[in-house]
Amino acid sequence: MKKLLLVFFLLLSHLGFSQTEVKREVVGRDIGQLKGIKISGRIIDEITGDALVGATVTVPELEINRITDNNGSFELILDRAEYNLQFRYVGYTTIDYPITAVGDGRISIKMLQEDFQLDDVVIYGSDPEKNIRSTDMGAITMSMNTMRELPPFLGEVDIIRSMATLPGVSQVGEASAGLNVRGGGADQNLIQFAGAPIYNPTHLFGLFTSFNADAVNGVTLYKSVIPARFGGRGSSILDIQPKAGSIAKWGGDLMVSNFSGKVGFNGPIVKDKVSIRGGFRGSYINWFLGALSNPDLKNSQANFYDGNLVISAPISEKNEFTYSYYTSYDDFAFSSDTTVSWKNNSHSLQWKSIVNDQIGFEVLGYYTQYDYSIFNRSGINDFDLNSGIKDYGIKAYLYYQFSETNKVTVGGDFKNLELQPGDLVPSMGEESGILPKKVQDEFGRESGVHFQHEFEIGEKFGMSYGARYDMYSYFGPRIVRQYGENQPISDGNAIGETTYGDGDEIQNYTGLGPRGSLRYSFSKSSSIKLGYNKMYQFIHLISNTATIAPTDVWKLSDNFLKPQIVDQVSFGFYNNFRGNIFETSIEVYYKDIQNVIEYKDGANLILQNNIETELVPANGRAYGVELYVKKNLGRLTGWVSYTYSRSLRQVITPFEEEIINDGDWYASNFDKPHDVTLIGNYKVSTNTSISATFGYSTGRPVTFPEAKFDYSGNSLAYFNRRNEQRLPDFHRLDLAVNFKLNGKGKFFDGDWTFSILNVYGRKNPFSLFFVDQLGAPPQALKLAVLGVPLPSISYSIKF
Amino acid sequence: MLRKFLYLLIILPLASCIEPYSVTVEEGAQLLTVDGMITSGPGPHLIKLTRSDTYGSVFEGLIRPVGNATVIIRDDLGQVTFLSENVEDRGIYATPADFSATVGRTYTLQIQTIDGKVYTSLPERVESVPEIKDIDLKVIKIAVEGETLERSGVQLIAEFDDPSDQNNFYFWKTGESTFVLKTRPDLYTPRPSDTNTSRDPQPKDCCITCYKTEQLGNEGIYLAQDDNFNGLSTSAAAGFIEDDGNRFVDTYRTDLKQFSVSQEAYRFLRLVKQQTEISGSVFDPPPANIRGNMISLDDPEEVVLGYFIAAGEISKRVYIDGNQLDYRQPEVIIPDDCREVEGAQLEPPLDWNP
Repeated sequence: MKKLLLVFFLLLSHLGFSQTEVKREVVGRDIGQLKGIKISGRIIDEITGDALVGATVTVPELEINRITDNNGSFELILDRAEYNLQFRYVGYTTIDYPITAVGDGRISIKMLQEDFQLDDVVIYGSDPEKNIRSTDMGAITMSMNTMRELPPFLGEVDIIRSMATLPGVSQVGEASAGLNVRGGGADQNLIQFAGAPIYNPTHLFGLFTSFNADAVNGVTLYKSVIPARFGGRGSSILDIQPKAGSIAKWGGDLMVSNFSGKVGFNGPIVKDKVSIRGGFRGSYINWFLGALSNPDLKNSQANFYDGNLVISAPISEKNEFTYSYYTSYDDFAFSSDTTVSWKNNSHSLQWKSIVNDQIGFEVLGYYTQYDYSIFNRSGINDFDLNSGIKDYGIKAYLYYQFSETNKVTVGGDFKNLELQPGDLVPSMGEESGILPKKVQDEFGRESGVHFQHEFEIGEKFGMSYGARYDMYSYFGPRIVRQYGENQPISDGNAIGETTYGDGDEIQNYTGLGPRGSLRYSFSKSSSIKLGYNKMYQFIHLISNTATIAPTDVWKLSDNFLKPQIVDQVSFGFYNNFRGNIFETSIEVYYKDIQNVIEYKDGANLILQNNIETELVPANGRAYGVELYVKKNLGRLTGWVSYTYSRSLRQVITPFEEEIINDGDWYASNFDKPHDVTLIGNYKVSTNTSISATFGYSTGRPVTFPEAKFDYSGNSLAYFNRRNEQRLPDFHRLDLAVNFKLNGKGKFFDGDWTFSILNVYGRKNPFSLFFVDQLGAPPQALKLAVLGVPLPSISYSIKF
Repeated sequence: MLRKFLYLLIILPLASCIEPYSVTVEEGAQLLTVDGMITSGPGPHLIKLTRSDTYGSVFEGLIRPVGNATVIIRDDLGQVTFLSENVEDRGIYATPADFSATVGRTYTLQIQTIDGKVYTSLPERVESVPEIKDIDLKVIKIAVEGETLERSGVQLIAEFDDPSDQNNFYFWKTGESTFVLKTRPDLYTPRPSDTNTSRDPQPKDCCITCYKTEQLGNEGIYLAQDDNFNGLSTSAAAGFIEDDGNRFVDTYRTDLKQFSVSQEAYRFLRLVKQQTEISGSVFDPPPANIRGNMISLDDPEEVVLGYFIAAGEISKRVYIDGNQLDYRQPEVIIPDDCREVEGAQLEPPLDWNP
């Protein structure tokens, strides 16, 4: 018996000894549970307290990887055993964390940022195998770290431009912030910041994006199978997550470039409980404009700023409230008599809750407002023209996790939309021989219910299916015209009017949008996926230009304008090589779009109470192949993408004068068949890196005149068939050098970035136009937005 | 130096550039083009027929007149007016001098070309037009890139009372204009030649002051519709006379003509205006097919360009005293007898009455 006891004590002491040696943490309350032990946790930055989104948690014993969510949280289901957990995140020192799992429990991980250790640069912000394993097709998450590796645009990380380097995503030209995703129009993307839609996320007419990168934690673009909880736009969802402040300590940052400057701060209002992050960015271009001799520029004015505020309160381990505020403002005065201005304001409040091991939910309410105005001070008939959108709503979803690989999500959302398409007000002070005119406000409600089920069958199959049922109602007060039957909708064919009272429904639409995707893995590093989805869109951008501009009109679906319906099928093959150093993919898609808006010739869109008279419905079709190769690790990182795609339109109506191009399919304004992007980042030394971006694409379609004719002393161009010719091809090289100086307290500490956009100064044409100037024969001219190499310098510090 | 460098960095992104671009345009079709207007004002009214040609500077085609056509105007009472072709200026067909359109009547233009093809316009109704109460003047300066001196000119602003009981579409043009032309015959210096090698001025005795008559050309298209001012007393930009350094030295006289056009004609003119004002900015609308109101009776598929306008007309005369303008171009000196200038004569028009 004594011997037995001795052996027992020896064993115990031995165990104890080995325990102190590896510092294995015992996790959970031991109630004798053997299987299904749930270990949850959260990873934060040790210094700033920021949640690390998209960090990787590896359980080598089970060969599983998990990614932290937007909150930095993760969850593992384990058996009772010892594990050597590993936590990895781009730019942070990897943590080995041995545990003994004995019962449900929580661990909290703090990771320390490393200062660019030369051989350990990784540009994936997420699970290296996520592309292979997830059933999400075409969902791309880009971390801010990845975006920082790209050459900056005017000294700054530009979120929308960064997304445009991905396959299947393009932009019309250098002065347009709208994205065209897989052949869809700029209005077919829902751009949301902290869950609130943002209608015009641009500064300086789209020269760059109005999101301050320092306020952003991560960006996800869904472009093929869009999760069922998103709806209302046809082509893509760009989900931008705000960055919460530190709950541990106060900090700040400062950046100045030759174009704009920004300051930011963050820290705990209540230590370990409530954090705040604020940021402000503004331009000082105006100070310089006035000092110039060029008369056009001297009399022009440009101002912009944007600001962010995030208050985050993780009130318990299972409940977190986040309030986000975003604002942006722009004005631009052309030669002092016409000023165009626009501003966005959005608030959102999010409550994330984990009820128990299986159930969690999220509720989000938002209010967003977009206002845009044109002020005319030319001296005759001065006016203000104001337009705007008010959008507020609530969305909620609940998930139930049957097991780690089997999850159901259900939810619903509701939004109310109020559009002011145009309000013309004679300006005060001066006598204005102009009548006030107000285009009728528009009112709509959009709601949806959705469910989605994701599960895996063994190692090989993964599947996700779901649907979203959209309901839309367009209601009064409104006066609606009637037009003669079997006649084109035009002013001349109006036969009467119906008056709808406050809240009376004028038109409603409903639609069922199924989504589904299927994944088959050949191995851990290779898989194929198939996906289908259907989307409905009830709000449209009525724009006669190719970009999102403050002169554009947003319009709700009504009894004339039907919702856009987009059907997309896609297929992809994914393969990673050499331990995930190389990531490759091929995706093919085909899209059918119903009720795209096209314009009658010379449509008049501004202050148009009966805008249906200016529009014609079109069919849309888009298809393409996207190739992508990415190198994730090493001194040289980056990617190459090539897209072949087409985006086509067709207009056939019973009325001959409305038919475009004889009813044949023709290229849309943003049809650019070949599109190549090359991106590289090379670490020269610990503190120095060089990055380069090269982009090439086919020129976009233009319409050439078929003849010239004289009218009233003007030599005019006769245009007949739309978009039959093309601009010259687009190509551009951008370079940047980044130095990180860490001389402890010296003045020049911080990040210096020198960049040159358009290195070889190519005059990429934005547009081609035809003019008849006095004394010269009519001719073609091209407009290049960036006609010269454009250098910029920026300096930023963190404290 | 540093300041300049900074300016450069700031400004470059705004300094977008526009330059000629040579495009290969297919050979253009020779489409019949109708450019004409009849009004309730005094005749004769002119209809110009041409054919379109290939677009562009390099492959520039020649716009050719269409002569020897039979051109008639028919009203809704069945009255037919024959137009006669100008013998010297082919392709221009004029109504009899005593012909004017009548407000309330509807007119169609019919053309038979020499090859026997028949074309007609859609009917155009002549609407009444309110009087111009007054003409305001405003000096406009236009900055010119690369030049220190701005261009300038006088904008004509028409004041009128818009009738409230109808939808009005306005179109303005300047008529024949006359101004006092001052020259410097004392500075006359002929080009040196074998017989006259001197480079010194050889003053002429006469003449310093003439009256020059001109038809202002392409100064823009001025249009308005009363959606924004229906029934109001309003004003609208109605014309522009560029200061060429001679016009506003003394007195300038012009007749501003105000027309009421049909809604369709307004739409056509708006498209013409839109095309002439395209600047290549990122906000330009895409090019539009400018459809007119002429159709071929033989082949409905045949495209006919241009528009036949029938309009109400009212005219108001304005004398502009150059000394009253708050900005003028420096005077351009013409070192010769003023009578040598085209369109100039010694005597003022009979009704010259500033």
